[in-house]
Amino acid sequence: MNLETPMPAVGRSRWTGLGAFIGTELRVQLHEGLAIATSIVVQAVFLVFVAVLAQGYLPFTLVGAIVFSVFTIGQRIQNEAAWIRIDHKLHELYHASPMTPGAYFLGLSVGVLLAYVGPILVLVAAAVYFIAFTAAAALVLVAVLAAEFIFTASVGYMISTWFRDMRSIWPYSTLFFNLFGVLPPVFYPLGLFPVSLQPVALLLPTSGGTALAERAAGILPLTTGEILLASISLVVSTGAAFIGAVYWARRISRER
Amino acid sequence: MTPDALRADSVRKTYRGRSGPAIEALTGVSLRLSRAERVALLGRNGAGKTTFLRIASTLLAPTSGEVEIFGHDAIADPESVRPYLAVVPQEGKPFMHLTPREQAYTYLRARGFTRETSKSRTEHALEQMGLTEVADRLSITLSGGQRQRTMVATVISTEAPLLFLDEPTIGMDPFARRSVWDSFRELTRKGSTILLTTHYLDEAEALSQRLYIIDRGRLLAEGTADDMKRSVGGTLRVSVAPGNGVAEQLATFGPLVRDGDTVHVITSPGRIQEILQLAAHSNLTASVGPVTLEEAFLRVVGRSINDES
Repeated sequence: MNLETPMPAVGRSRWTGLGAFIGTELRVQLHEGLAIATSIVVQAVFLVFVAVLAQGYLPFTLVGAIVFSVFTIGQRIQNEAAWIRIDHKLHELYHASPMTPGAYFLGLSVGVLLAYVGPILVLVAAAVYFIAFTAAAALVLVAVLAAEFIFTASVGYMISTWFRDMRSIWPYSTLFFNLFGVLPPVFYPLGLFPVSLQPVALLLPTSGGTALAERAAGILPLTTGEILLASISLVVSTGAAFIGAVYWARRISRER
Repeated sequence: MTPDALRADSVRKTYRGRSGPAIEALTGVSLRLSRAERVALLGRNGAGKTTFLRIASTLLAPTSGEVEIFGHDAIADPESVRPYLAVVPQEGKPFMHLTPREQAYTYLRARGFTRETSKSRTEHALEQMGLTEVADRLSITLSGGQRQRTMVATVISTEAPLLFLDEPTIGMDPFARRSVWDSFRELTRKGSTILLTTHYLDEAEALSQRLYIIDRGRLLAEGTADDMKRSVGGTLRVSVAPGNGVAEQLATFGPLVRDGDTVHVITSPGRIQEILQLAAHSNLTASVGPVTLEEAFLRVVGRSINDES
């Protein structure tokens, strides 16, 4: 390309190059076969514990395992984005190009999601086997998982940009993903959580989303108020995180 | 009037750390690059070269100053100029789990090029960089030099109107470096403009039509390699090692450039014999050669260091 020839069809769309970058990231991720295969080991171990110790809770743990698996994709996105930026400096290649920072963020996120979706489908198959999902319940589950992914990808990407050293990220990452993904009622029913803290659990995208999916599957009773609280919170937190991440991606593409 | 490829005016950058004093990385750098020009930015480690390159390529915000790329304001609206740019980052590495062919091809596709264009440009760039034989090997299996060549191949395949190359040939063997030089010359023949940094002064001399020398965040000199060499004050260099003990006597023959234990005297052909005799008298080693860019660089930067102290 030079200035005598017309500019190619680049920079015309906010999402130019998105598909190509998704493909790039997917190709990169698929080389990590072992990491992908073992990505649901913790969830599987939880399922075994619950199956042995309290079989009645297995449907809750299954739904929670699916939600948690999608949630931890954010951690992988965070690590990948940080690795590309800190170790490879490849983000400079993409930022100083027609590809927008938003397309970079989304491409990286969707690429990682596609690579890790296989093991999640195994959990989904198990859930379908143990829980009688109606079409409506399946739709709710898909919507919850989509929101979960957008939220976690956005937060994971933003966290990745706050550090200059990979090792500094790990403790914060562990704290964040365990605090949101393990501690609240994701793997266990909302009813086992302290009553006074249940509204807080419904406000969290992880436990709130899980509760909505469990309610749709008919295994967790929720009042209309609780459904509204969890739904609104999920939509607002997902929207805010996504808009925040796109804004942040744009801002961080030129360091201060 | 056709706007310059790059115009930077009074660019300043101060890094304000959370702890410790603020660091003035650039203290008002102004420079211009015409279209289809190859220009090198030279300086010691920490002189401000990378900071300037990152600001000019929209990757870092300046504290103050103006940067225009092909007449567009790169500070106020970085996204408007990014389609014109391509960058080889310092110490950048390709995706370890992509092959050089995949790396270049997918990057071109991400920049919005068609499959056909991406494919043909990828093959051309791989050939130019001598990567054809390893084009289908994962980057993780390549040597450091081959990975660097992959980065350069990826970026030159864009044929972007303005390329910023931060130490593009680091870690490459002499043959690979010359292939890179040829590819840069081809790019400027096609109309691209190149700003590069390098610590290889032979590279800067062989490749650049103009040079800037930067130190401690300010520009010290600008001109062609010949201009710089002429400014040293002679055409020949006599290197005396170890020369510090006779430095005062050597200074009577012309300007000195110190390089560790070696003292280079820049002088005229008529004084060579006297210097060689002095060296022989003192049992010192002496060699004669033409003034190189290295002496010019050492003299310009050394003078600046002396001025500061």
